[in-house]
Amino acid sequence: MATIQIKAEVSGSVWKIITAVGETIEPGGTIMIIESMKMEIPVICEDGGTVQKFTVAETEAVNEGQVVAVLST
Amino acid sequence: MSAETDDRYETRKAKAMAMGGPEKLARRRAAGVLNARERVDRLVDAGTFIESGLFGTSGSRPEDHDRSPTDGKVAGFGKIDGRECAVVANDFTVMGASSGATNGRKIGHMKRVATSRGLPMVFLGESSGARMPDHMGARGMGALLGNDPTQYARMRETPWASATLGLSYGSSSWYAVLSDFCVLRKGAVLAVSSAQLASLAIKEDVDPEVMGGWQVHAEVTGFADHVAETDEEALAAIARFLSYMPSHHNEAPPVHPVPADSGSAMAGIAKLLPERRTQVYDVRTIVRAIVDTGSFFELKPRFAKVAVTGLARLDGRTVGIVANNPLARGGAMDTDACEKITSFLVLCDSFNIPIVMLVDNPGFSIGVEAERRRAPGKIMNFMQALQLCTVPKISVIIRKSYGQAYLNMGGGRNSDEVAAWPTAEVSFMDPTFAVKIVHGLSPGEAGFDEAFAQMNKDSEAWGIAAIYAVQSVIQPHETRDYLIRMLEVHRQRLTNGVGQHLMRAWPTSF
Repeated sequence: MATIQIKAEVSGSVWKIITAVGETIEPGGTIMIIESMKMEIPVICEDGGTVQKFTVAETEAVNEGQVVAVLST
Repeated sequence: MSAETDDRYETRKAKAMAMGGPEKLARRRAAGVLNARERVDRLVDAGTFIESGLFGTSGSRPEDHDRSPTDGKVAGFGKIDGRECAVVANDFTVMGASSGATNGRKIGHMKRVATSRGLPMVFLGESSGARMPDHMGARGMGALLGNDPTQYARMRETPWASATLGLSYGSSSWYAVLSDFCVLRKGAVLAVSSAQLASLAIKEDVDPEVMGGWQVHAEVTGFADHVAETDEEALAAIARFLSYMPSHHNEAPPVHPVPADSGSAMAGIAKLLPERRTQVYDVRTIVRAIVDTGSFFELKPRFAKVAVTGLARLDGRTVGIVANNPLARGGAMDTDACEKITSFLVLCDSFNIPIVMLVDNPGFSIGVEAERRRAPGKIMNFMQALQLCTVPKISVIIRKSYGQAYLNMGGGRNSDEVAAWPTAEVSFMDPTFAVKIVHGLSPGEAGFDEAFAQMNKDSEAWGIAAIYAVQSVIQPHETRDYLIRMLEVHRQRLTNGVGQHLMRAWPTSF
């Protein structure tokens, strides 16, 4: 089992986490939404996987490149 | 001819065709990897390959003469979907397909014929680099390296496509990145030199895939226009790329039949755009709805995802699509996006491909990091490339178009035609920021909502249409028909669809 670190591509604040630990994400699926530059920017999992944990919480500020979730494949 | 002469011919031919021998070929087969001749056979139409240099061997060291069939590089001419092309396929089973004097002459000949006769050029890369020890020492260098002053001079007379299908170092990598289209097969490595040599030089372990694997080139360097799972997929991608291209720069790209259901998604296209301006969407769904069914071939999809670049067809004719993608970082263009778009504009203009730009972005990424990555230079390279394009350019503003990025995406007469959807907003910056700068008000403060409403109204499409700075306001569902008609209006009749190619000598990577 490999793990993938999902990183925020943009700085902002976590608006909504729309998946749950244990949930399987399809390739290209959205894990959470970050509010940045007055827009709702999705955090996307390119290759799909199962959510192991979140490393941020809703309303928390995130920096570009920060790991926000860990998935397993 | 005597029977003896005939036998000698057949014996030598069989030896040349046997490549590096049955054991090496069997190992490749077991690994699921095609050999050089299988790759050529897959690439070209059946029975069309005419080989050049079948009897070439290493000319440097006598002990190599008999163990270097074709000198490790299979070269020749073959038809891809009926069109003549020049092909060089590295044969890794022969001395690691290393570069030597004879195979250097073969590549030089292929390139000269391709360039002077107007044929696309295909490189199938997998090479250990310069042949050792032939290149060692001053005499080795003088005799073998750099005796062709045009070897790496790219003037884009004909399209070049490359596939990196294994370990690729030295000139195999140079030809890959000099090409207009570069596909990497997963498991292949494209780098200057081997991980082993890198480890020796920098005294630390280097993982070849970390150094030059598909993920690096798809996501970090952007060299990979496309990533394939298998050799077969990579070869199919080359054929697909060439299907959009003319054979040379003095003709228009070929016209293909239009799939019957093209345009059938246009009725629902407005629904692909979210109602709230804070919501994002994947612009590729809009691109696919507009262009001929199944014709969108995205390039560099995992690199600089804020910008989408790709080849497609409208009414059977090749177009280059440049689109902002709000799905990634709201579509704000960074320096990687500038480089991605610049190299795509150079490709399109060099091969007479009209450009369609779909605009929805909040501007360029700004800040300390952007400046350190030379944002002003990258933005101007992009801008200059757009202004030097002599192919037709049409921009459609879907939603946001702000600041300098308005110009870079074709606004202000930088496209031949600019159309706006009724949802377009054009201004110098996002109205929220503008209210803060002009009125000193932040969201939630008294007066902000009124000031915001005024700023927002002033950004509407009608304002810019009223002064004819966009030529048309179109309904989203009219976009495909509008583009087809406008591309017809702007077809370069005086030159049979051929542009001036002012960027033909621009770098092949930025």
